[in-house]
Amino acid sequence: MLLSRRRAAILALSFSAACGLLACGGADKSNTVSISGSTTVLPAISRAADDYSMQKDIKIIVNAGGSGGGFKQLAEGQTDIGMMSRDITQGEMDAFADHIFTSVIIGRDAVAPVVSAEIYDAGVTALSFAQITDIYMGRVDNWSDVGGPDRPIFVIDKAAGSGTRQVFAQIVFGDKTALAAGADLVIGSNNEEQTAISQSDSAIGMLSFAWINDDVRALAIATPNGNVEANIDNVNTGAFPITRDLVIVIREDVSPAASQFVNFMLSPEGQKHVADSGYLSVSK
Amino acid sequence: MGSALICASLVGLIILTLIGQTGPVLSGHFSSLWGTVWNPNTDQYGIIPMLYGSIIVMLIAMAIALPLGVLTAIYIAETRSARLRGIMKSALEVLAGIPSIVYGLIGVAYVSVWVAKGLDLQTGRLILTAGIILAVMILPTILTLTEDAISNVPEIYRENARALGLYRHEVIKDVVLPHAKRDILAAALLALGRALGETMAVMLVIGSLDRLPSPLFNLLSSGQTITSKLGREIGESAFGSAHFSALVLMGLILVLITLALTAAAQWLIHRAPREAAHV
Repeated sequence: MLLSRRRAAILALSFSAACGLLACGGADKSNTVSISGSTTVLPAISRAADDYSMQKDIKIIVNAGGSGGGFKQLAEGQTDIGMMSRDITQGEMDAFADHIFTSVIIGRDAVAPVVSAEIYDAGVTALSFAQITDIYMGRVDNWSDVGGPDRPIFVIDKAAGSGTRQVFAQIVFGDKTALAAGADLVIGSNNEEQTAISQSDSAIGMLSFAWINDDVRALAIATPNGNVEANIDNVNTGAFPITRDLVIVIREDVSPAASQFVNFMLSPEGQKHVADSGYLSVSK
Repeated sequence: MGSALICASLVGLIILTLIGQTGPVLSGHFSSLWGTVWNPNTDQYGIIPMLYGSIIVMLIAMAIALPLGVLTAIYIAETRSARLRGIMKSALEVLAGIPSIVYGLIGVAYVSVWVAKGLDLQTGRLILTAGIILAVMILPTILTLTEDAISNVPEIYRENARALGLYRHEVIKDVVLPHAKRDILAAALLALGRALGETMAVMLVIGSLDRLPSPLFNLLSSGQTITSKLGREIGESAFGSAHFSALVLMGLILVLITLALTAAAQWLIHRAPREAAHV
C-alpha cells in the first residue's frame, strides 16, 4: 500500500475541505450582477454601475458584446441583464421560447437631421422625409431647391455599420440598407460629424441629440400636420419620429440584486447617469 | 539558414491563410466583386473603388515625392559641406521615425483644413490630401536610398567628366544620374510599396466614400483605399462571413502588389554589373 490508512484519510479530508472552501468563497451569486450587451447602452450602464456598487455592497460586472450577444447570453443564463439598442427580433424570441423576457426602457437616443448654422439662418429650418431622402439619394443637389440659398448641398453620410445611420435610414429613407448615392463624405463617429458640419457652410448630416450645438442646427421634420421640432418634449411624446430606445432586458427568473439595479436605473439617480452619458432620460 | 527558412515560411503562411479566408466571397458573390458598389447588406462587394483609390493615392504621392526626393538627394550627395549633409540626414531620420498616426492627426487637423481653405472646398478630406500626406511619409525613404545610390557612383566618373570640361550640372545630369538610375528606380519601387500599405494616415483624411470619383480623375473628391476600408470595417464584420472574406481578398490583392514591387526592386538592385556609361 502506497499510503497508510491514516495518511489516506487526512488527504481525503483536506481535499474535501478545499472543495468546500472553493465552493463557498467563489461566486456569491446573491451579491454579483452581471450585465452584457450593446455598446451604445454600455456607457450609461457603466456610470450607473460604478455609482450603485459604491452605495450598496454589490459587485456589478459590465461587458460589451453587442445587442445580439447580450440577448443570447441572457437567454442562456450566463448573464443577469442584457443591454440592447434595438428590439428583440421574433427569431430571437422563438429560439428561446421557454423564457419570458421583459424589456425595460432606460433611455432614448434621438437622431436629428442637422445642417450648418449658415443654412439654418438662411431659412431652411424644416425638411420633410421625402426631401431629405432626395438629398441623400442625389436627386436634389442645391439648397435653392429646398428653400435655401443657391449653394450646392454638401451631403455627409455615416458609416454603414453605425447604429445612428441604421435608425436614420430605416425611418427617413424607409430602408435600413439603402446606400446614399448623393453622399459627398462619409464620417465614422458623432464628434467627427459635428466637426465636419460646423466647418462647412452648406452641409447636411445626421447627429445624435447629445451632439447638437450652436454651429450645428437640428432641422424640424416637415409633416402634413406641421413641423415637428427636434427637442426633448417631442421625443417624449413620441411626435419626433427618429428615435430608438435603449433597453435592458431581464428574464422571468431575475435575481433580486439584478432587479434592484433595474429599479435604480429607472430612479432619478440612474436617469441622471443616462443623461450624463449624452442620451435622453425617460420620465417614469 | 534556419531563421531565413522561418521568415520565408511565415510569409508563405500569411499568404496561404489570406487565400483560405477568401472562400466565401469568391464562391458566393464573385460577380459583384468587379463592380463599383460596396453594400454588404445587399451582398454587393465591389472592390473597384478601393483598388482605384489605392492606386491613385500612390501615384499622387510618387508624383510629389519622387522629383522632390531625387533633387534633394542630389543636393545632399553632391554638396561639399559635410556638416550640411549631416544635419539633413539627421532631419530625415527624425521624419522617418514619426508614427503614421501622428501624420494622420496632422493631416486631419491642419493639412485638410489648409487644402479646404486654399481651394475653397467644403471639406479637405480628399484623395489629394491623402496623396500629399503620403508623399511626406515616403520622402525619407526615397531620399536616403537615392542619396546612397548617388554617393555610390564611383568618383572616377565625376573626375573624368570634369576633366573633359563638363559643367557641374552636366556632370550630374549626364554622368552621375544615368549610373544611379537603376538604384533610384529600386528606391522608388520600395517607396511605392510603403505608400500602398499605409493605413492610419490615409484612413483619417481620405473621406471614406466607397465610390469612384466622377469624373474619374477628380482629385478633389473624397474616396477610399484598400487599407482605409480594412481599417474601418474589419472590426465590425463577422469572422467567416462573405463581408469578412471580401475584405481579406482586398488585403490579399494589396499583399500581392506589394510583393511584386519589392521583388522588382530586389531584381533591379542585384542585376549583373552594368556596362560603362558613355561620356
